[in-house]
Amino acid sequence: MSNDLVTILDGDTFVVSDRRGDIEASLTDPTGLFSSDTRFLSKWVLTMDGQPLNPLSVDDLQYFETRFFLVPGTGTVYVDAKLSVIRRRAVGGGFHEELTILNHDDEPIDLTTRVEAASDFADLFEVKDALEKKGTYSSRVEDGKLLLGYERQTFRRSTVISATAPARIDEQGLTFDVHVEPHGAWTTEIDVSATILPAENVGARPVPAKKRRREHMEENLERWLGDAPRVECDWEPLRVTYRRSLVDLAALRFSPPITAGKSLPAAGLPWFMTMFGRDSILTSLQALPFTPELAATTLRVLGLWQGTRVDDFRDEDPGRILHELRSGEMAAFEERPHSPYYGCADATALYVVLLDEYERWTGDKKLVRELEYEVRAALNWIDEYADLMGNGYVSYQRRNEKTGLENQCWKDSWDSISYRDGRLPGFPRATCELQGYAYDAKVRGARLAREIWNDPAFAEELEKQAASLKRRFNRDFWVEEDEYFALALDADGNQVDALTSNNGHLLWSGIVDKSKAKAVVRHLMGPRLFSGWGVRTLAQGEGRFNPVGYHVGTVWPFDNSFIAWGLRRYGFKQEAAQIAAGILNAAAFFDGRLPEAFGGYEREATKYPVQYPTACSPQAWSTGAPLLLLRAMLGLEPVGDHLVVDPKLPSGIGMLAVLDVPGRWGRVDAFARGTIDFNARSGLHPELGAPEQASARRR
Amino acid sequence: MGVVTDSTTEFFQELGRRGREALLEKANGSIRFDLADGSRTERWFVTLDRGDVSVSHKNAAADCVVCANRALFDGIVRGEVNGMASLLRGEMTSEGDPAFLVLFQRLLPAPAARGGRTDDVRDQR
Repeated sequence: MSNDLVTILDGDTFVVSDRRGDIEASLTDPTGLFSSDTRFLSKWVLTMDGQPLNPLSVDDLQYFETRFFLVPGTGTVYVDAKLSVIRRRAVGGGFHEELTILNHDDEPIDLTTRVEAASDFADLFEVKDALEKKGTYSSRVEDGKLLLGYERQTFRRSTVISATAPARIDEQGLTFDVHVEPHGAWTTEIDVSATILPAENVGARPVPAKKRRREHMEENLERWLGDAPRVECDWEPLRVTYRRSLVDLAALRFSPPITAGKSLPAAGLPWFMTMFGRDSILTSLQALPFTPELAATTLRVLGLWQGTRVDDFRDEDPGRILHELRSGEMAAFEERPHSPYYGCADATALYVVLLDEYERWTGDKKLVRELEYEVRAALNWIDEYADLMGNGYVSYQRRNEKTGLENQCWKDSWDSISYRDGRLPGFPRATCELQGYAYDAKVRGARLAREIWNDPAFAEELEKQAASLKRRFNRDFWVEEDEYFALALDADGNQVDALTSNNGHLLWSGIVDKSKAKAVVRHLMGPRLFSGWGVRTLAQGEGRFNPVGYHVGTVWPFDNSFIAWGLRRYGFKQEAAQIAAGILNAAAFFDGRLPEAFGGYEREATKYPVQYPTACSPQAWSTGAPLLLLRAMLGLEPVGDHLVVDPKLPSGIGMLAVLDVPGRWGRVDAFARGTIDFNARSGLHPELGAPEQASARRR
Repeated sequence: MGVVTDSTTEFFQELGRRGREALLEKANGSIRFDLADGSRTERWFVTLDRGDVSVSHKNAAADCVVCANRALFDGIVRGEVNGMASLLRGEMTSEGDPAFLVLFQRLLPAPAARGGRTDDVRDQR
């Protein structure tokens, strides 16, 4: 998101404006009031005596509330300080704006204050793709309110605007005749309500977007922060990053109507404030040691929406976990398949992984019993519907060829899956990490079947399948001469042989033969993949490598957090700490808010991480990355009813404590001591991960 | 498809005959369908009790109430119209706890009339 824009949000309702608080959107411009994937205001401009205002400052009070300080424009660089204007705006069911004009002069003042309002009711997809509207617009004044409307057959949306102060309302906005006494103030409250209207002939009532009281939201945020474990650390940037992650995760919480007020993580703010199978699951995994309730809601909601039939338009199969759910006009008229869309090849296996990991942490066997049907259906999907080539591997090929997704793995851009020489394979594609996830799902499913569902025969069957998959995988995907795993198998069963970060996910899933792990780690930490900040998505020297290519050379914090977990799983503690150091150092450059990705340049060459330009910030799984890195550094692992702590800190952190880690053990504290380099600490931004020999034991 | 207008009746009667539905095992409550057919409203009241399903015409308060035109609902249970898209379009509405509707839509058929496949995909690849 551009730094010049200000965003506040509550779930899938959000306002994006300029620094004056104004909205002047064109069809492709990403500003406005949005709710339920629809833009409800595309114009919202405040003027005084016909002049726009100048911004002095913006005070981001909370993620759902902000305050704009403004002064009238003079047309020169000088500011007329006799008058100032405060717009305090809070989101919720649309938004609520408190407009205050302060007269600092000894003379009274009379002003014509105007708010221009309009809406194009664009679908989020239309904003992204610049598409034309097909319905009709209306604008009318009724009962002292301005009603903006849009109608396409039975699809009806309305924006209702009203004010507490007397106003002259016309079809384009509200005008206030303002008189302010010397040193006095004038104020009005303006309410903008985003409303979904049902069709006229079905006899139901209009549904205003849900409203939450501001106090309630503040309490909610305080409770969220209070419930999370505390992090203490002598390396200040980590405390800042942790706090940032918790607040951003709070903002990213999304409560679809079916969750009775409980939340799951949406994918990114503001354009991806909806349920995504993959993003919600991976973020819940990252956050498990800190906020396990996110995982429970994610599992319940994704389970409710699990596929039950074969629908080519939505790429739906029985047992498949959804990719993305949208509720705007284009989904409604089936111009896009997101009602919901299921074209995702990894979320179904990851669903099983999350449930098992969740139970290992929380001991919540009840949820495992509750979701037995869904987990069995998910495991069945892997064998019955995902093996498109009949070779025992999970692969993907969209059936919706017009609007479905080509790449149904996390690296979903068009050129992300390539051979070393840069050629792109045909379809289906069996990417390697999908096999790892499937293996892990079977192993974990077997544990659930044996220990909780009391079905040892099913457990044995799953374990047999997992062992067979692992054996075949280590044979078929292993690039013998260079000793790493190929990115994918193509439709002919040949290796798509580019060297990629996916090797790290394989460690996380446990599908890598122990004898091969060392060679894999050598590649991950070697100069072709490791940039100094983290592991690149694609290795330097490969045909399509580009340090600023989305999935072909950039470094993704989320990717690296799972790689660090994978390294720990195979006992490579020092390497996991090195990855944590690189990513946490990068986070310090962004005030603790990691971008989705940054450039894959050599760290030595740029000295700072070059942010990849992206529309969403914060991104859920980037927000979750520091949480998973904390887990990796501390070596947190539930074993039976205990939490095992086996720390390895990067040099530069002398002390790290995570207090009150929730789980089946109640609440416990995890402590670690490390080494610090006294020379490096004299700098303003001491960096983590300096070579061991240069550091000294602190105590 | 000889008796087109009876698709809804067939759907609910078949559901009632089954008596048990694994896809609804999590649900404990009721969902009422008010289907408008000209000036009259046809009601289907579905009670869910941990997988046990019973169907009647009673007009009583339910945890979730769904309103739609009878003709639209016929299309939905035949797989010609997608239920969720209808809901997003405002052609069908729901009040009360929408979780029941999400669970219920699991029972709706594959889009047979729109090029979808109801059999195993693998055999056709």
